[in-house]
Amino acid sequence: MVWLWNNLGLVLGLAAEHARLSAIPILVGFAASIPLGWVASRFAWLRGLLLTVFGIVFTIPSLALFVVMPLLLGTRILDDLNVIVALSLYAIAMMLRGAIDGFGSVSPDVLQSATAVGFAAASRFWTVQLPLAGPVLLANLRVVSVSTVSLLSVAALIGKGGLGYLFTNGYQRAFPEEIVIGIVFTLLIAAVFDIVLVLLGRLLLPWSRRAGRAA
Amino acid sequence: MFTRKTRVLAGVAALGLTAALAACSAADPLDGGGDGGDTTAITIGSQGFAESDILAQLYGQVLAANGYEVDYAAGIGSRETFIPALQDGSIDLIPDYSGNLLYGLDTGATATSSEDVDAALPDVVAENGLAVAESAPAEDADALVVTPEFAAEHGLTSIGDLAGIASEITIGANTEFEGRPYGRAGLESVYGVTGWTFKAIDDYGGPGTLSDLLADNIQVADIYTTTPSIKQNDLVVLDDPKNLIAAQNIVPLFNAEFADDDFAALLNSVSEKLTTDELLSLNEISAGDDKPSPEQVAKDWLTAQGLL
Amino acid sequence: MNFFADAFAYILDPAHWAGDPGIAQRIADHLLYTGLSVGIAILIAVPLGLLIGHTGRGRSFVIGLTSAARALPTFGFLLFIVLLAGLGLAPLIAVLVVLAVPPLLAGVYAGIEAVDRQPVDAARALGMSEWQILGRVEIPLGLPLMLGGLRSATLQVIATATVAGYVAQGGLGRYLIEGLARRDYTLAVVGAVLVAALALAIDGLLAVAQKLVQPRGVSRGRARPASTRERRSSRVPAIIRTPTTEGNL
Repeated sequence: MVWLWNNLGLVLGLAAEHARLSAIPILVGFAASIPLGWVASRFAWLRGLLLTVFGIVFTIPSLALFVVMPLLLGTRILDDLNVIVALSLYAIAMMLRGAIDGFGSVSPDVLQSATAVGFAAASRFWTVQLPLAGPVLLANLRVVSVSTVSLLSVAALIGKGGLGYLFTNGYQRAFPEEIVIGIVFTLLIAAVFDIVLVLLGRLLLPWSRRAGRAA
Repeated sequence: MFTRKTRVLAGVAALGLTAALAACSAADPLDGGGDGGDTTAITIGSQGFAESDILAQLYGQVLAANGYEVDYAAGIGSRETFIPALQDGSIDLIPDYSGNLLYGLDTGATATSSEDVDAALPDVVAENGLAVAESAPAEDADALVVTPEFAAEHGLTSIGDLAGIASEITIGANTEFEGRPYGRAGLESVYGVTGWTFKAIDDYGGPGTLSDLLADNIQVADIYTTTPSIKQNDLVVLDDPKNLIAAQNIVPLFNAEFADDDFAALLNSVSEKLTTDELLSLNEISAGDDKPSPEQVAKDWLTAQGLL
Repeated sequence: MNFFADAFAYILDPAHWAGDPGIAQRIADHLLYTGLSVGIAILIAVPLGLLIGHTGRGRSFVIGLTSAARALPTFGFLLFIVLLAGLGLAPLIAVLVVLAVPPLLAGVYAGIEAVDRQPVDAARALGMSEWQILGRVEIPLGLPLMLGGLRSATLQVIATATVAGYVAQGGLGRYLIEGLARRDYTLAVVGAVLVAALALAIDGLLAVAQKLVQPRGVSRGRARPASTRERRSSRVPAIIRTPTTEGNL
């Protein structure tokens, strides 16, 4: 604990970078999976294609993807973009299945009712489909959030791992306390993100609380 | 109470704010500060072990005290990584070791003594778009070490003595050791040590390497000469009479864009006070029970030397 | 892009397959780490999952464990254990087992829990013992989800074994670590391609197995947009059920 006190600046700085480098992919993953998931839930052939492609991406172990990113993107070695793009791809892959399930779970009866009442396709999407798919999307987003925060630490092996630096540094110095502090702060960031998502869910999807579905 | 529309807007605003904050901090002007002629911002890298972190702080704090905006990028890795990083502007300065630097950039080099290496460096690094300041008296070289018991058992005093038992031993070192000039190729051609097994332990001669050596999982380890564990465990450093491993003085390596006399003078003011003994004591403090941060270790020393 | 061409040339060269360490050796290592740890994890997670799923007790434990396991930075955990226990096979397998158990447990539990109550009640009414219900009704019906958990766990282990190349001597991760250390991008891409291919192959095999154990006459109900009625009746919380494959480290 003394070490933590003496090195608080270092740890907090790393924590801030960790939060930044994981928040962006989570947002990108969410944003991208909405249109992709909606489109895939409508067209079966597209669903199969997208799920296969992103399934392949997701199966690639993270270190492999981190290492080849600069080659694929043509970025500099220490560019943030390498890590952000790789994590975003994983986030989309994780969200896609949930988005497809979410949009698919909206009953066709409800959709037909909405059309009958007079909703155009676009506003039907925003006011009916998206909110109804919300709880499933949120549950998946929480999983994606936690996984992304955890996954980032592997990037310490390419010098961009946020709190993951404490893992490699602690290992090299035979200093397990440093590793533990890294783990604890990573968990803290994951917890904060989760709380934020839950609160956003309550704000935007108040009916799901009453139904008791958002676990 | 709140209509759904208000809620949605609030939620979107919250998300937008988060994204904006993330984007703001992402546009860090100090990232890759060397390009565009902005010479007062500088990113200093370190290789990923304690001594390198301390050296980075030593140079960095002096630069910071003299008008530079210093950012640190720790844990860059070995030369194979930081040379490209220096060249593409990911980092601007990194403390390196003269002999390894020379041979890393020029595999045909022949210099081995401090003076010869120092003389050969400036031209070689210039060819790669880099520059060096003066090297410090302090030296931290790769060293092949064995336990005192092993040395006694096989009568080992120099690297050449390993030739006889080469096929039975395992040498432990960082992954890149095997491919270096003083790795497999050099050991075979200079000392005739062939047929040994290599075990990669990526902690720069740190605790994992030490414990494997003491447990006899490896018989020979590459532990750098200013690592406190050598003294603490009475490890025997095998002599290198044929200078397989060249002089390894601490030398600051930086992108040629920063090369000017004032900059070099600031770096030299640190280097000239850094002797091998001083460096060893800095490492000992860092490895002590308190595990002080490299920043603290550097600050204390610089203050004591009157440089801060 | 040249690196990919060079990497494929490297892989196709038979000389690189033989020897220690050659491609064949490293693939064998990787399979050993994976097989051993998943095997041990099965021994731990399956009985436990069957018990929790069948009796319905310990639900919150499984949910908590899965969430905690997902949140734990596996790389940090690995380095921590290796630091305390040393660089050897046993600590590595121990860490992999610990990482494989939660998704496997969740899959087994979810499989049992998702089984419709009707066949179970009918079986009980017919006078089957609890063991018979488990063996003849719940497991066969729950097998697809259980295999989903197995897929998850295996993927998690393959990925962690890759990163373990940082502290281990064998496995395909070594190509990545060595490639990184020497900035030899060809070698790194070799590692990336091989490990991705291995993961895809094994995941593909398990996916086929998952389809094969689908009991005839029962719709899986999850691959297609399910009717809302069926969705509401599923008592397995979303946080365990989705996504099918997760935990890429």
